[in-house]
Amino acid sequence: MAADETILLGAVAYDPKVVAIWEGIRDYFNDSGAPFDFVLFSNYERQVTALLAGHVDIAWNTPLAHVRVQHHTQGKSLSLGMRDSDQDFHSRLIVRTDSGIQGPGDLAGKTLAVGSRDSTQARILPLHFLKQAGADLDEVTLLPFDTDVGKHGDTGTSEIDVLEALRNGDAQAGTIGDLIWVLEQTAGHIDTGLIQSVWTSPGFDHCMFDALPDLDAAKIERFTMALFAMTWDNPAHRRLLELEGLKEWMPPREEGYESLRAAVEDQSYPI
Amino acid sequence: MSGAESTAAVAIDAGDLPMGGGLLALLRPALQLLEPGGVLAVNSLRDGLQDDLSVWCKVQRHEYLGHDPATGADASTTTRHLLRRGNLSIAQGHRETDMRLASQDGRLSAEQVLSAVPMPQDADATSGFAPRGAQVEPGGPRYPFDLVNRDHVAPPEVARLYDQAVESQWDANRDIAWDQLPSHDPDLERALDQVFTFLAENELSALYVPSQFVARIHPAYAEVAMFLSTQMADEARHIDVFLKRARSGGGGLGVSSATTSQSLLTLLELTDFTEAAFLLSVLGEGTFLDLLRFIEDHAPDEVTADIVRRARNDETRHVHFGQVHVRHALAHDTSLYQRLENAVRRRATAMAGAGGVPDALQDGLTILAAGSTSPPAVARGHDAFRELLDEMHRNRTKRLEHAGFTSEQAQTLSELHTPNFM
Ligand SMILES: [Fe+2]
Ligand SMILES: [Fe+2]
Repeated sequence: MAADETILLGAVAYDPKVVAIWEGIRDYFNDSGAPFDFVLFSNYERQVTALLAGHVDIAWNTPLAHVRVQHHTQGKSLSLGMRDSDQDFHSRLIVRTDSGIQGPGDLAGKTLAVGSRDSTQARILPLHFLKQAGADLDEVTLLPFDTDVGKHGDTGTSEIDVLEALRNGDAQAGTIGDLIWVLEQTAGHIDTGLIQSVWTSPGFDHCMFDALPDLDAAKIERFTMALFAMTWDNPAHRRLLELEGLKEWMPPREEGYESLRAAVEDQSYPI
Repeated sequence: MSGAESTAAVAIDAGDLPMGGGLLALLRPALQLLEPGGVLAVNSLRDGLQDDLSVWCKVQRHEYLGHDPATGADASTTTRHLLRRGNLSIAQGHRETDMRLASQDGRLSAEQVLSAVPMPQDADATSGFAPRGAQVEPGGPRYPFDLVNRDHVAPPEVARLYDQAVESQWDANRDIAWDQLPSHDPDLERALDQVFTFLAENELSALYVPSQFVARIHPAYAEVAMFLSTQMADEARHIDVFLKRARSGGGGLGVSSATTSQSLLTLLELTDFTEAAFLLSVLGEGTFLDLLRFIEDHAPDEVTADIVRRARNDETRHVHFGQVHVRHALAHDTSLYQRLENAVRRRATAMAGAGGVPDALQDGLTILAAGSTSPPAVARGHDAFRELLDEMHRNRTKRLEHAGFTSEQAQTLSELHTPNFM
């Protein structure tokens, strides 16, 4: 259907709210003169395959999926936008206060709880950065929580598991993203006498709208126009932005994924 | 850093509180007091707080400006963090400050509150249930309130009438001397029971009709909803006390007539607040004032007289509110005269063929006024009933003229009023 002007977007159904988010955004886009529909995938691997095969126009991707799309398009894929909350992510080293761990150099001989093997913020990048910071990971016992594999850490379940392992003493240290760390504190879920953050990784960026390089320019134009017209102070938009966890859509930037590209290569992560 | 430091408007002492351990309870209210762009200094003994603060600022769309490097190795060294307030989610409206409502003779009335916090001309449906005077964050959902204009909804007297209503509440359980109710001749008691059955049926409509408008009134005019809630509580009490009276004299409930039923449905189906106030309160409850006075005057015992006297006191307030509501709306919208007249005519059309005053009620009022079933007494009762109809018409016409209708209009509208009285 070459004449179809409908933008078809792929997203991963990591939570029931994803349906509400994209149905709301679909209605908003359609009302804004950008014909739009979406399909949901159960995991990012299937979504990336569908994008590369041209079955969807745009994929709402995690950083790992974004790096994978760029890898398979020799860096020619198009990056269309990201959330304000996707920029300058960090990972944290959280420790039990009774563990004596002051930083990455004290991890030898300890148990380190880590998130899902495909979680950028709770596993791939913190291990990469800890190694750079001088942690001897060969001397560390990893306690992995491979929950929701395929969702690339979107559900946050494995990060909550890491915090729980610290609380109940199954691990002395753990790695999670700083967003979960601050949100859990803001929600009053953290006993700051029991666990604390002792190290913050360098910054990196999170999700991205990816498209193949040959996507119709008019579709791109309509998509980005409507996307960036969403504002927090509009009640109809705000409901969607709150659900999707942002206050403002931002133009894309690539430098925030350098560390992940290096980590994937260093860890021989299958890509 | 040094430039921002000099612009910090407010500083808080955060001790060594971590973000997840109480810091936010100091930080958020302090930021609330700043205008967007204002800078807050957070003096903290906590190591590494900058990493948490910068993420929190990002999530909340504030700007983390940085911190003074700790001086020396002393653990007690204070670090000063600087935050610039962002411009998202800024609550709208002026923040109330220096509010100190002054009681008078130990009392603090709703009327005083209204004069300290006046109602806006128009209300914004996205402020939801925010009390009038609260600052409102933008982005809230739109509520289905459609009574959003002061001139149509909220007469200035409403708070004073609310105060009066609250002060005048009574208890149909405790305040009536039920144990002093005497026995009457069965025919007279049956007439009374029929009259109270009719009253209770009409009181039910007076409870239901305003309830349909309460949820449509914007909370900026909450005093109107509050007054109507007292009116509904009054009607609930009237239903209760009238049914109790009908069942306390050895008889029981009488008949509900089709005319009454048809008349009350035309009230229940009204969707315009001012039309409902006009038809229910000015014309209906206004006519009931004369009816209740008639019953009180002819009541065969003091307990029965007390019951209708108490109800009439409440009804006087309902009629008063209906009148100030309609007068206030008419003063701001003269096209309303025609609309109200049309509403009366539409209702008269819907009532066409329904007959006159319901038979059972006519007979009940006649026997009540007669005081017995002896033919000469009944003749007097009949005259009294006819005189009541004239009295109702005269007073209704006066109320209409008082609302601003010409005496000719008032005459016509009064004649078109429902034979059911309400
Ligand atoms: Fe009543
Ligand atoms: Fe009433």
